Amino acid sequence: MTRRDFLTGTVKAIISALVTGVTVVAAYFMYPAGLRSRTMVYCDCMDEDALPKKGVKRAEYRYTQKGREMAVGVFIVKDDSAVYALSPVCTHLGCLVNYNRHKNEFICPCHGGRYDASGKVISGPPPGPLARLPLKIENGRVYIGVMLPAAAAA
Amino acid sequence: MGRAFDWLDKKFRIKAPHKGFLRRRLPPGLSYFYCLGGAAFTSYLILFITGLMLSLYYIPSEMEAYESVLTIQREVHLGWLIRSVHKWSATLLIVFILCHTIRVFISRAYKSPKELNWIVGCLTLVSAFASGFTGYLLPWDQKSYWATTVGTSMAATIPIMGRHLMYLIRGGMDVGGSTLIRFYSFHVLWLPVTMAALLWAHFHMVKRLGIKGRL
Repeated sequence: MTRRDFLTGTVKAIISALVTGVTVVAAYFMYPAGLRSRTMVYCDCMDEDALPKKGVKRAEYRYTQKGREMAVGVFIVKDDSAVYALSPVCTHLGCLVNYNRHKNEFICPCHGGRYDASGKVISGPPPGPLARLPLKIENGRVYIGVMLPAAAAA
Repeated sequence: MGRAFDWLDKKFRIKAPHKGFLRRRLPPGLSYFYCLGGAAFTSYLILFITGLMLSLYYIPSEMEAYESVLTIQREVHLGWLIRSVHKWSATLLIVFILCHTIRVFISRAYKSPKELNWIVGCLTLVSAFASGFTGYLLPWDQKSYWATTVGTSMAATIPIMGRHLMYLIRGGMDVGGSTLIRFYSFHVLWLPVTMAALLWAHFHMVKRLGIKGRL
């Protein structure tokens, strides 16, 4: 190996290492921070008396984040055996589904996904049922459990 | 060219390598279909200039973006015009690039020795699509919000890496303020610069390898 070969080889290795390093650092820098530090927070939703006797009711749960009041939609479902909360986020591509009282179905406006009142897929593109959110009744109030960033508070 | 230009070129010397670029001989058998690439580039230039102007008034913030677009539409002098020209040129850019791609395909201009120019063209098309996608979010209204939610959710359907790719694109779990800033940055910095570099390479190869066969 000549001196020249050694030097060009070294320079090439340094440049490759730099390019790789910068790419890795840039990708890591771009990836959002704090995704793992989310915790389950129970957010106030409604009075226990407001729970539906039977069927589906649209409600909102509230929390504050960076000083802003957030209100997020949720469906409270009461069937013969239990009461549970369904996320309105369509499992296909994340639009919000609407409840159609007439058909007793959840229908997504984006690509026509249909779910029955318990959140199971009837037809359309959704790959899975609507997510069930933890629901807790305490001191006459209904709370919905959601994963929130550490800065948020119920 | 003019005397002023000649004076500049005494130092800059750009004339020699581009001698008579407006008088170059074209091969026989060209038609107006060979102008589609030029039409696309013209759209790019219009987008660049109107985009520079819009960036003076647009505010890429969660709380102010929508209001600033309303201001551009209603209060800024000719704001409605500049924004409409930007919007329509964006549509035309995609149309012209696609037509240009079809022309290249039909006339088999992608063949050797110009295969690399085809690849660069495809990358430009991808950049144009990305510019359209990121620009669509910026008005920050219901339509753009949900279009971006759906569009970025598609990334999550890629096996294994998909979800992380979606978070990377969104800058968070959901489409929000960080997504807006991210898309703004891509739309006004990353993508125009990338496209300028790609277009330079594209035109350089057109000059070296010709439009139709060898020039």
